[in-house]
Amino acid sequence: MTVKIERGQIVTVERGQRAARRIPGLGLLDGMAVVWKHWAGSFRKNQGFNDIHGVFTFEYPEERPKLPEAYRNMPILLYDEETGHELCTSCFQCERICPPQVIHMTQAKDPATGKPVPAVAEFVIEYDACMSCGFCAEVCPFDAIKMDHEFELSTSDHQKLTVFKEQLNRPISYYERIAPTMWAEVREGAMKKLQGNIKRRPDVIGMAPNLAEKIAARRRELEAAAAAAAAAAAPEAPAAAPAEGRKLTPEEKAAKLAAIKAANAAKKGGGATAPDTPATEAAPADEKAARLAAIRARNAAKQAGEAPAAAPAPEAAPADEKAARLAAIRAKNAAKKAAEGADGAPEATNVSAPEPAPAPPADGRPAPSGEAAGTGAAPADEKAARLAAIRAKNAAKKAAEGHDPEGS
Amino acid sequence: MYDIVNSLINVAFGWGWPGWVIALISHLAVTTLLFVIAPFQMLFLTYYERRAIARMQDRIGPNRVGPAGLFQPIADGVKMFTKEDIVPTAADKWVHFLAPCVVVAPTMLMFAVLPWGPGMVPADLNVGLLFFFAISSISAVGLMMAGLASSNKFALLGAMRAVAQMVSYEIPAVLSLLAVVMLTGTLSVVQLIEAQAGLFISSADVPGIPDLGLGWFIFTPVGFLAFIVFFIAALAEGERTPFDIPEADSEIVAGYMTEYSGMKFGLFYLAQYVLNFLLCAIAAVIFFGGWQGPGVGWLYDRAISPANPDGNWVFNVLAGFLGVFYLLAKTYAFFFVMVWVRGAFPRLRVDQLMDFGWKFLIPLTLVNIVSAAIWVALLRWGPEQGITFTQNWAPILRWGVAFVVTLAVNVAAYIALARIFAAAQAEQGRIDLDEYRDTLTATLR
Repeated sequence: MTVKIERGQIVTVERGQRAARRIPGLGLLDGMAVVWKHWAGSFRKNQGFNDIHGVFTFEYPEERPKLPEAYRNMPILLYDEETGHELCTSCFQCERICPPQVIHMTQAKDPATGKPVPAVAEFVIEYDACMSCGFCAEVCPFDAIKMDHEFELSTSDHQKLTVFKEQLNRPISYYERIAPTMWAEVREGAMKKLQGNIKRRPDVIGMAPNLAEKIAARRRELEAAAAAAAAAAAPEAPAAAPAEGRKLTPEEKAAKLAAIKAANAAKKGGGATAPDTPATEAAPADEKAARLAAIRARNAAKQAGEAPAAAPAPEAAPADEKAARLAAIRAKNAAKKAAEGADGAPEATNVSAPEPAPAPPADGRPAPSGEAAGTGAAPADEKAARLAAIRAKNAAKKAAEGHDPEGS
Repeated sequence: MYDIVNSLINVAFGWGWPGWVIALISHLAVTTLLFVIAPFQMLFLTYYERRAIARMQDRIGPNRVGPAGLFQPIADGVKMFTKEDIVPTAADKWVHFLAPCVVVAPTMLMFAVLPWGPGMVPADLNVGLLFFFAISSISAVGLMMAGLASSNKFALLGAMRAVAQMVSYEIPAVLSLLAVVMLTGTLSVVQLIEAQAGLFISSADVPGIPDLGLGWFIFTPVGFLAFIVFFIAALAEGERTPFDIPEADSEIVAGYMTEYSGMKFGLFYLAQYVLNFLLCAIAAVIFFGGWQGPGVGWLYDRAISPANPDGNWVFNVLAGFLGVFYLLAKTYAFFFVMVWVRGAFPRLRVDQLMDFGWKFLIPLTLVNIVSAAIWVALLRWGPEQGITFTQNWAPILRWGVAFVVTLAVNVAAYIALARIFAAAQAEQGRIDLDEYRDTLTATLR
């Protein structure tokens, strides 16, 4: 019952029946009636927050309430399954804001240049001291750190509660499942920022560790396939090659990008240091030669197969020396194949391969820089580059000698 | 039991053993049975109480150990047995050790006069009711021993409270039973039950009432009031909320049990629950006809009994099962009410408890004894006792007049006493408040 007064309404609660109030002691029955109602109502489940009767219990291990999207327990890191890249750029915002200071990270560095890359090398969260405040997720400009719904974290092993990047990583689809609307709100911006960051990440840096191996394996597979394709008869090559060429997986693309970047870096480095020392002076020339050799080899192959057969193979070449050697071998193979496959080709190789091309200054646009084949063989560090060049030259020479003795 | 063992040994096998051996064997068997049943009652009641109170609090209660949590008390028992038994250094070791035994023993002895079914009573004493309540107050000695021997102030406080409460509430309990004893003129529990045959009207009061085993005393005004008072007193004696002052865990840890651990604590616990079971059972026996219920009397008439030696043993079994079922159903229903009261009301203060017992319940039972006297005078007495005006009344008219008169007396007495009591309590509250204000102003000045 409500009573209206000047300032508003007053709710008055009737305590018991009138008869009960007139006879002392009968009010006790009202209290018992309340308890009885709860007892009788407890054989069904509580319907909602407005329902004061019924059992509230969730029989937990068997029965799990649906957690609200914004529920937060411990932070996790997201990675994009499509590219394999982590969203984290190691901007240190979360580490800075974390009240109990349990977030630690190291920024990834490009092994070639030693410069920091917008990716995280190692990421550690001490779950045992984390207070689940969610500040890290709130402050993250790249939406890389999010709060998980997993709460069954009890363990007998204390060390397990210091969680490293590999255990923190979750695919975006996981977060999308537990918090669909929250992810939909930030999805577009996060993905855009990620694309921008991928461009600045060389090689496999910034990839989820669990995927990095897969990517490496896939790459080896591709190389093997390419080598097999190259070793096979020439007529077969065009058939296989385009198929290979079209199948540019995101990681391959990333690798290509990395290769381009490395080449550019190397070139720039070479150009800058050229006047200083003779060693570096010689470098651009050798590099150029290597590139030339590669181009020639490719051209030869193209001529032989009338298709960019060799192209996919060097594409995937990474920036280190091993990769350079690989590239050289590939170039050799290509040259060999070219020599085997076609008659017209050897002449070209024959003529141009042995003689080192004059070294134009590196500031000029290097001819094949856009071409995957050429840059693939161009390593980031000069020694490797020289080695690769020599090898490519040798290979070309050998190929030329083997098939057209008069030429040399 | 004596009859069964006798017929088995002397009739079936024809060994011709003397009567005292038969009696010894039969009593040993019954005692063993009861000593097994009592702890199981306690186990079940703990489970029952936890489930019931959980439902009242919108929970489910123990439901993990075994089907629907039925083995929870067994798990608790295992826990109790594996706990360390700690005796405080300052404690009086022997008294500390003996106290749980003194508390448990009387509860076991009380089973001796509890009839489970027709012809199923371990010992049919002609002073069974007196024995029951005389024995039950022995446990107060055990409580005092526990409190004193622990040399712990909480334990001593709890023991003092327990003894004060038990002594105070014995009086209304026994006085309320006195009214019933007046109605039947017997102290034998078995005869009390037999007097409750009939259908809402006891066939002992009005001959010719069909016997459905429903002539319970609860259907008479005297019995109803006696039951209410007795049940409240039973709550206090069994130390149930709202009278769990002796072990008020929010004030004095666990009262007299504070310094007990392991199975000694378990024994106190056992004694308390067995006592509660017995109080519920005796309430069922005295006011709700015990094993009396539809069908039991009919079955027992066809069974082997001292009155009917050539009956069929199948009816013995059937009557026994039905009788035990009725008794246990009533007992558990009362225990449910105890849990219900626990769920509804908060604990009283010591002075409130004493006031309620001495100033309200005892006057009420005294009035009830007067009503019982009126009832007896109207129904049983005749010209020999000097009551001449009821001479020509039919039994049903006598019963009706007695019912109306006693009802009027009891209701009037209840309302008057309740109002007086409430007014007195309010006045006491005001006096307390004034005193408090005076002390407060005195300190401020």
